[in-house]
Parts: sequence; C-alpha cells; structure tokens
Amino acid sequence: MEKTIIINIGNTIIHIEESAYELLKAYLNEVKQHFANHADDLEIVTDIENRIAELLTEQLEEQKKQVVDAANVNSVITQMGRVHDFDTVEEGEEEPVLNNAYQYQYTEKKLYRDMDNRMVAGVCSGIAHYINADPKWIRLATFLISFVGGFGLLVYALLWIIMPKAKSRIERMEMKGEPANLQGFQKNLDEELQAVKERLSEVNKHAQPIFGRLGIFIGEFFEWLGRFLSGTGKVIFKVIAGFIIVFGVLFLLALIISAAAFQGFWDASIYEYFPFSIINESNRGIILFGAFIVCFVPILALILFSIRVAFNKQAINKTLSFALLIIWLAGVAVTGYQAAKISSEFKQHAELTQTADLKTYKTYILDIDKSKYFSKEDSIAYHIDANQKSRIVVDDFEDGPFVSPNQIRIDISKSESGITRLTQKYESQGKTFQSALQNAQNISYSYGTKDSVLVFSPRFQLRKGTIWRNQEVRLNLEVPVGTRLILKEDTYRYINNYWTWDCKNTENDHNDYSVWIMTEDGLKCVAQLKEEAIKKEKLQKELFDLELLRNNKPNDTIYQDSVSNRMREVKDELGIKPEQ
Amino acid sequence: MIAENTQTQMRKGILEYCVLSIISRGEIYASDIIAELRSAKLLVVEGTLYPLLTRLKNNGLLSYNWVESTSGPPRKYYTLTEDGRGILSQLDQTWQELAYAVGVSQKGANS
Repeated sequence: MEKTIIINIGNTIIHIEESAYELLKAYLNEVKQHFANHADDLEIVTDIENRIAELLTEQLEEQKKQVVDAANVNSVITQMGRVHDFDTVEEGEEEPVLNNAYQYQYTEKKLYRDMDNRMVAGVCSGIAHYINADPKWIRLATFLISFVGGFGLLVYALLWIIMPKAKSRIERMEMKGEPANLQGFQKNLDEELQAVKERLSEVNKHAQPIFGRLGIFIGEFFEWLGRFLSGTGKVIFKVIAGFIIVFGVLFLLALIISAAAFQGFWDASIYEYFPFSIINESNRGIILFGAFIVCFVPILALILFSIRVAFNKQAINKTLSFALLIIWLAGVAVTGYQAAKISSEFKQHAELTQTADLKTYKTYILDIDKSKYFSKEDSIAYHIDANQKSRIVVDDFEDGPFVSPNQIRIDISKSESGITRLTQKYESQGKTFQSALQNAQNISYSYGTKDSVLVFSPRFQLRKGTIWRNQEVRLNLEVPVGTRLILKEDTYRYINNYWTWDCKNTENDHNDYSVWIMTEDGLKCVAQLKEEAIKKEKLQKELFDLELLRNNKPNDTIYQDSVSNRMREVKDELGIKPEQ
Repeated sequence: MIAENTQTQMRKGILEYCVLSIISRGEIYASDIIAELRSAKLLVVEGTLYPLLTRLKNNGLLSYNWVESTSGPPRKYYTLTEDGRGILSQLDQTWQELAYAVGVSQKGANS
C-alpha cells in the first residue's frame, strides 16, 4: 500500500504514488533549474511537462493501471533525458548560474520531527538536526530535565504536538538542511508566486486546528505506546514476570513449610498463641487445609500467568485452571464455614469474679511487672533454668507471641466500706453460657502484693488447651477515702477509668510516677490538688483585699462597680455562690 | 574526450538542420521528430528538443498548431514558416558545400 497523490501536470489529472511524485518533482525541479536562465524557460518547461503528462497517460493506458509508480516516472525520465544530457546540445546558451539567494533560502533548515531516526516521536532527533547536534545529547538532556518535576516530559509532549512530522523527501531534506540541488529554482515571477502559494498551503496544512493536532498527537502517542509495549515494554514485563515467578515460588515454599509447621510437625505450641488459639483443636486440620488452599491457589495462578507473560507459553490448559478455580472456591467455602462456626462460639458471655481484701495501708504503690509470667510448662518450653533466679525475661509489651490481644484493665474506685479490696473479674465468650464460664475459668492471672506494693502482670495466660474466646481480665481496686496511691508510669496504660497521663508531679524529676489521693469525689491527682489549693489561697487573698478596697471610695460608682465585678469573678472561681 | 567533444560539436551543428529538414516534410509532433532522429541514428533525448524547438519558433522559423490528442494534453504540431523555408534552403546549400568540403578533405580534390 502506498499513499497516492493527485497531481495536475500539463492540465492532466494524474494519480501518482508518493515516492513516484517525489521523484518526478525532483526531476522537474532539476529541469526548471536547468532552464532558469534561459529566455524561454517557461515555454520549454511547459512543453516538457505536457510531454511528460502525455507519456504517463500513455503508459497508464498501455499497462492498464490507474496510478503512476516510480518505474513509470523513471522510464519517462529516461526518455526525456536528464539535464546533463541536455547540455550536449544547447551548451553555452543556458549555462545554469546558481542564484545564491535561492540557494541560501533553501538550505535554511526547518524544524521537523525525524521519523526515521526516532526513539519516541522523533522530537529530539529533529531538534538535533536543527541545531546540528548529536541526537543522543539532546535525548540525554531531555531525559535529565524530565526529572525536574517532569518538566522535560511536558516540553516533549508540547513539541510533539507543535512540530510536524518530516513526511516527504523534501521535508526531510529541509529538516537536515541539505543543499537543495533538486529543489525548485524559480526565476520567473509567476513561478515564484506559485511557490509562495504552495508554501502558504503547506503552512496552512501545518497550522491545523489545535484539536486536529492533539488528535494526531494522541494517535501517535498510543501508536508509540503500542510499539513500546510490544518492544521494550515487553522486556520489562518479562523481567517483572520473572521476579514474580521467583518470589512466588519462594512464597509457595514458605507457605508449604508453615502449613507443615502448623500441622504440628515442628511446634504444636503455636496454637497456644493468639490468633491461632482461636481455632478448636478438632477443626485445626480442616481450617489449616482451607486457609492453605485459599492462599496457595491465587499465588500459583499468579505464577502461572507470569510464566505465560515471560515465556509466551501457556503453562496449564484451561481444564486444569478451571479445576484450580474449583479447588480454590472449595477452600474459600471450607474456610468461610469454619469461620462462621467459630464466630458462633462467641455468642454467649460469662464472667467470674474473685475478690480479695488487702491489708490497709495509708499509701499503696501500683506497678506493672514487666517480667513475663511463666508457667512451669513455659519454663521448660523456653529452656529456662528455674534455678537461675537472676534471669528475668522482660516482656516487650507489643512483640512476640502472646495469648490474647486483650490487656488487663484496672479500675480504681472509692471503697464505701473502708476496706481495701481488689476484685478480679474474668470474662469470656462461648457457645453456651456454660462453655463461656468454662473459658473464663481457664484464665490464669496473677498479681503480687508485697506490703503496700501491688504488682500487676500486664497480661493474663490461658491454661493449656484453652481456646481464645475473647477472654478478658478486669481488675477493680477499691480504696477508702484518704488513701494515697502512687501510680508508676508503667501502670498508666492499664488504668481504665482515669486519665493518668496529665498528672505531672513537680517534685518528680523523671516524671515516672504520679501521686493520687482518694477523695469523696473520686481519685484526684495530688499535684493538681496542690496547685488548686495554691490558686484558691491566692484568690481568697485577693477577695480579702478587694473587700478592703470596697470601703475606700464609697461614692465613686465606677470604682465600686469595677471592684464588685472583680469580686464576683473571684467568688465565681472559688465556687462561692453570690449572696442575694 | 577530445573526440567526444568534437562529435558533440558536429552533432549539435547538424541537429538544427536535421530538425528543420524533418519538419519541412510536413506538420509533425515533437515526439515524432525524436523518433525520426532516432531512426536517423542522431541520438538525442527528448528534453534536448524542446529548447531547440522553442528557440527556432521564437526566431520565426517555426510555427505550431494545437491539435487535440486522444491521450493526454493537446499536442503542438510544428510546421515551417516562410522564413524557415528560406533558412532551410540556405542551410541546404551550406550542407552541400560542407559535404563537398568533407568529401574533398577526405579523398582529394581530383578524385
């Protein structure tokens, strides 16, 4: 397929292929140039054009064609002869004198996109032609300024829109600024005008409406994208696919290994920790299997797809992939069923309370024991030598396996009976009330008392074999009015009913504890009380002063008003009801 | 190279005469002139002919008529003007002289 141009030569309309047109145009330009200084150039050229038209028409009729191709043009040129053959006859009369002005005009370069030597749209290459540089430097520069906020990309896109493509041979020559030896060389004014017209029409062609240009740009952009994806992009995709294959396979291996681990090949104690402790012992196998399939199949599918991308080869046939889908859906169903079953075991709630009266002290110190609570079984499991008492394993609060996501919660309240009492409330969910109660009973929690020091463990344990059913431990410490509590900083996060972080003790440099006192209105921060007391004292002093001032100028109403206003404010702050 | 040059000069000299002679036989189209020249082994390309014809026409030796063509544009058919005929008879005479000169040069005056 080739683009066809319709030309008017010697008043004859001829369809001509673009390449043939270029050839013919070059030849006629040569001829025109040759006869440029000849007195009768116009007539001669017209004669020649007429003859060419006739010859082409004859050829088309002879060959039963509709379109002139390069072969036709070449045979015509052979018949008409090239300009250097003309010289042998009319030599001396029309020695072609090159007109420098014209020469200059045509060697002037034009900015076109170089489609023959392009990376994306030929913009850089075109610029390189225009400024006589190596395209690679222009490309490098463009690449570099692309990193300045994508500025380079924007400029590139704009130039892509603005710069026309160098489509024809003439345009390519203009782009490269090649000597226009084949170009039109018009002397005659008419022909010059003709040339100007041609150029104007060409300018018009280039100055298409912006939407048309945008359309061209978008079209070309997607064409380029297509080429990129099927070329360079393909390589990138293949590399990505390769990575996916490698990591996917590793992931599958990890999955198999961990499944084996869960199955108890290595360490069955994993089920003692949250969230694995949710699962009933009897259901473990099936849930593990379901979860394994749910994870395994999609990754396998991803790997198979990547293999297809990377090697252009279908790794498995349709039946097999359909079977995989079925297996996966089965896995999802099994897992979903089991999840529903487990969630039904959270239906009932039960709680268990245990109270202990503590020895009465004026001051209690509350602290958290960071050392992990170990059962005898744990000590064996972790290979801790019970004889080495100095060794303490510190719980880092957040990390590591733990039995429950729930922390203990401590409420502090006023004791009406005057007795210090610690209530432990164990709560749990279960399928029935009875099983909930059973689950609550399986909580093992301990706190320590040493004189007036209460040390709480931050977490509770579940007795071995107990499954996790949202067990919780809530502690309630009742202290009589007037009792001081020293809360260590570690306890702040477990105190449930007071915001303990704001109580800043000025005497405590490290701010690692705060002192509180139980009042009739609940627990109060001692530092805050002190501050309030100082403030109150100040206000009372001011009130006293104001009362003295009031007696000073009994007749000055403005003075009296301002004093009584201030007194009202002070009384308001002190909580004294205004007399009236 | 020297030979070539001389040949060119000789051909050039007689080409005009030959063209006029061909046209003198009757109204004729440019490409037919070419064909005649080819058959006369006076090989030229068509492009050479047009400037020559134009010059001869402008000098008043030739005139032409437009004749419609079945294929392509109308054709110029050339005829000799009265001036042309005069010039041609002069040239005929010159050719006779030249032919004689050449014959004498080649074989001697007494042969």
